[in-house]
Amino acid sequence: MDFLAEGFRRAWALLVTGDAEVYGIALLTLRVAVVATVVACATGLPLGYFLATRRFWGRRAALTVVNTALAFPTVVVGLLLYGMLSRRGPLGGLDWLYTWQAIVVGDVLLALPIAAALSAAAIQGVDPRIRRTAETLGAGPWRTAWTVAREARFALAAVITAAFGQVVAEIGAAMIVGGNIRGSTRTLTTAVALFTSQGDFGMALALGFILLAMALVVNVALQVLQGRGSG
Amino acid sequence: MVELRAVRHRYAGRLVLDLEQFTVPRTGALAVVGHNGSGKSTLLRLLALLEAPTEGQVLFDGRVVPRRAPAALRRRVTLVEQRPVLFRGTVRENLEYGLQLRGLASTAVNGIIGDVVERLGLQPLLDRRRQELSDGEVQRVAVARALALRPDVLLLDEPASSADRAAAGALYRALAAERASRPLAVCIASHQLEDAYRWADDIRALAEGRLSPVTPENLFRVDLPAGEGVKSVHIGDIDIAVMTDRAGPAVLAVPPTDIFVSKAPLASSARNVLAGRVTGLAIEHRGAGVQVRANVGGVELVATVTSEAARDLAIGPGSAVVFSFKAHAVRVF
Repeated sequence: MDFLAEGFRRAWALLVTGDAEVYGIALLTLRVAVVATVVACATGLPLGYFLATRRFWGRRAALTVVNTALAFPTVVVGLLLYGMLSRRGPLGGLDWLYTWQAIVVGDVLLALPIAAALSAAAIQGVDPRIRRTAETLGAGPWRTAWTVAREARFALAAVITAAFGQVVAEIGAAMIVGGNIRGSTRTLTTAVALFTSQGDFGMALALGFILLAMALVVNVALQVLQGRGSG
Repeated sequence: MVELRAVRHRYAGRLVLDLEQFTVPRTGALAVVGHNGSGKSTLLRLLALLEAPTEGQVLFDGRVVPRRAPAALRRRVTLVEQRPVLFRGTVRENLEYGLQLRGLASTAVNGIIGDVVERLGLQPLLDRRRQELSDGEVQRVAVARALALRPDVLLLDEPASSADRAAAGALYRALAAERASRPLAVCIASHQLEDAYRWADDIRALAEGRLSPVTPENLFRVDLPAGEGVKSVHIGDIDIAVMTDRAGPAVLAVPPTDIFVSKAPLASSARNVLAGRVTGLAIEHRGAGVQVRANVGGVELVATVTSEAARDLAIGPGSAVVFSFKAHAVRVF
């Protein structure tokens, strides 16, 4: 039990002294997660709305694909992306392998199905009369979509939280295409794995706390927003 | 104004609407009556350009409407659904919604809202949210929200179903005032015949997605004399005995199934015995009965008899026929 107590003490010391490496890793993680969540939601939410509201040939198949992609293993996404981004791969020219951009791409691929599938379900849960009412009052397609989305705001906020949660907590893609390079692509999850394997339990624990704190802050912020928007 | 041509509409393969021709005239007040599930709401959604028919065409102002109707066209027709929904926010915000979409300045918006609010008595509700309103209040707000937009065509699906009598009266008065002030086509779907008879210039009946010729027949606008009990009302060249205590303007309806058809006058208690000539026979949808149409003293009446009865009577166009019905059978609206 001593090493646990020692681990907590060391974690606390690293956090309060503002250890540069710890905060560097945290900031990179935050940057990757925010960019990936924004990109995934900016494309996934409209895609979800489209899948939920339009009737077109192949819609059911598209929904099945998106729902299946929800369960895509992160290491497989990492592996496929590695093949694409490696020097001999089709996207090798970008020279993104082992950069933070590569991690963002991997995370977007993982979060996009979440954003699309869950927002489609959220929009399908909105009373269809809302959409008809917006249209009959003269709203065009964008304003109609906005009106419907406003009615599903709690569910959509949960979708964004889920996408962020997936991105911030995933390790497979970040490890494979990021490479866990110190000072450049080391994220909280890859660092926790590394320090744990090296036996530096205090460091791993400190980074784990930051990861939890990040998730907490994001959730609290979303709850505050929802509270303000209720009614 | 809005017209459906050769329209067939299906949901999941099931035919819900089958109309050769249906028109909402430019300034008319049209009522569509029918039971729940008869296709009224679907019809209104097609007329509101919110859905495109599976087959057939929708015309607006004589022009064919594309399958995805442009917003500019949709803004000329407004539908109030049977159980309308309000958006989140206050009643005022709901009333502002469509006006802001049309790019009106806030002073104009406030003026229009003040006007509809007064007409429909919504002043005390303006700052309430949807969860603080009763069903009847939501319905009134929804009608106000539609009226505020001054559409060319107003479609109302059971607009008074959740309203009490006073609120329904206020609603119909507001509609009448709006129609008196500008050209407006109104189409109301209702399962309450009384509503329809009282408000509409023209009534269509819908049954299982098809226009049914039965219900709106035998309707007469009359002026009832004062007094109690059986009254005699002059229609065309005939007099009809009616049992009512009402006086003044009213609509009389003789249900076609309440009329006895015979070749010669029957010895019966019926107060109304009218002789005339058959002008047409028609088999009802699904062959349930036969409609016998006859001219009795310059008035066209329709009676419905079973197909067996029609065969036994052996009548055809031109045959002499007698229609009999009790004074009690005549409904007064």
